[in-house]
Amino acid sequence: MATSGSERRGIPAAAFVEDVQTFLTTTGSDATSALNTLQERRQQYKLVEMKLLAQQRDLQAKIPDIKKCLETVEALLAKQGTGEATIVDFEVAEGIYSQARIEATNSVCLWLGANVMLEYSCDEALDLLKKNLDNANAGLGAIVEDLQFLRDQVTITEVTIARVYNWDVHQRRKLRQAEKDV
Amino acid sequence: MQQGGAVDTEVTWEDQQNINKFGRLNNRFHELEDEIKGRKEMTENLEDASNELILADEEIVRFQLGEVFSHMPKEEVENRLESMKEETTKELEKLEEEKESILAQMADLKKILYGKFNDSINLEED
Repeated sequence: MATSGSERRGIPAAAFVEDVQTFLTTTGSDATSALNTLQERRQQYKLVEMKLLAQQRDLQAKIPDIKKCLETVEALLAKQGTGEATIVDFEVAEGIYSQARIEATNSVCLWLGANVMLEYSCDEALDLLKKNLDNANAGLGAIVEDLQFLRDQVTITEVTIARVYNWDVHQRRKLRQAEKDV
Repeated sequence: MQQGGAVDTEVTWEDQQNINKFGRLNNRFHELEDEIKGRKEMTENLEDASNELILADEEIVRFQLGEVFSHMPKEEVENRLESMKEETTKELEKLEEEKESILAQMADLKKILYGKFNDSINLEED
């Protein structure tokens, strides 16, 4: 039995079955129980897949948010030397807008979460946001790789299920044929 | 990807790896289709915005920055739109290229896998 690496971040690899007959003998199971075990395995993989997909969606939503923040800070930075104020329309409440005048500034406040907001110089804010963006991209990359690994395991399990099933059908047919011949 | 029929063809580790690879490529293919669709919409929107801007009389227009609409000279917005269009087009080209390469790889794998398993394997979408 060959395997494709033993595990990845807690996800066990699916074993590749070289020969169905040998596989059933070594595990000491018949086709039906082997199929049940494999189906169960497949369900477990699918569950992990859903979790990873949710994480992926979260990050995919977060990245554009960070990019928006970066753009804004960059715009403020661009105005910094000029002494020009930035005039913006902003939403006060849903559907209600007002105008604000932002004097050329050296600092912005970043919402860090957990009810904390911190004032940064624009440069520092830019660095921090860039770092967050890098982290989010790296995290997304890791999840994509995990998902690929996981999907390989699902495919292996599905192919194995099909092969065990076919083997079983084949065996039964042979048996029937043998009975007829007697 | 299912196998039917009772023809006994042995599945080797190499075949399994080819099937895995095909699965991966197929997944990526669908992701790419979505991404390409998104970029195309983006290009259209940018194009629309540029056209509107040509018709606009005001010297100062509002440009969405993050959550707010910033008042900006028309010229600057024109420049920004141009560079955004350029970037989107570049990304689109890259994605299209990747799609082509994936389709080619999938065609190769299909040849190999159908060559070995004939009707016992199904690599088509429903």
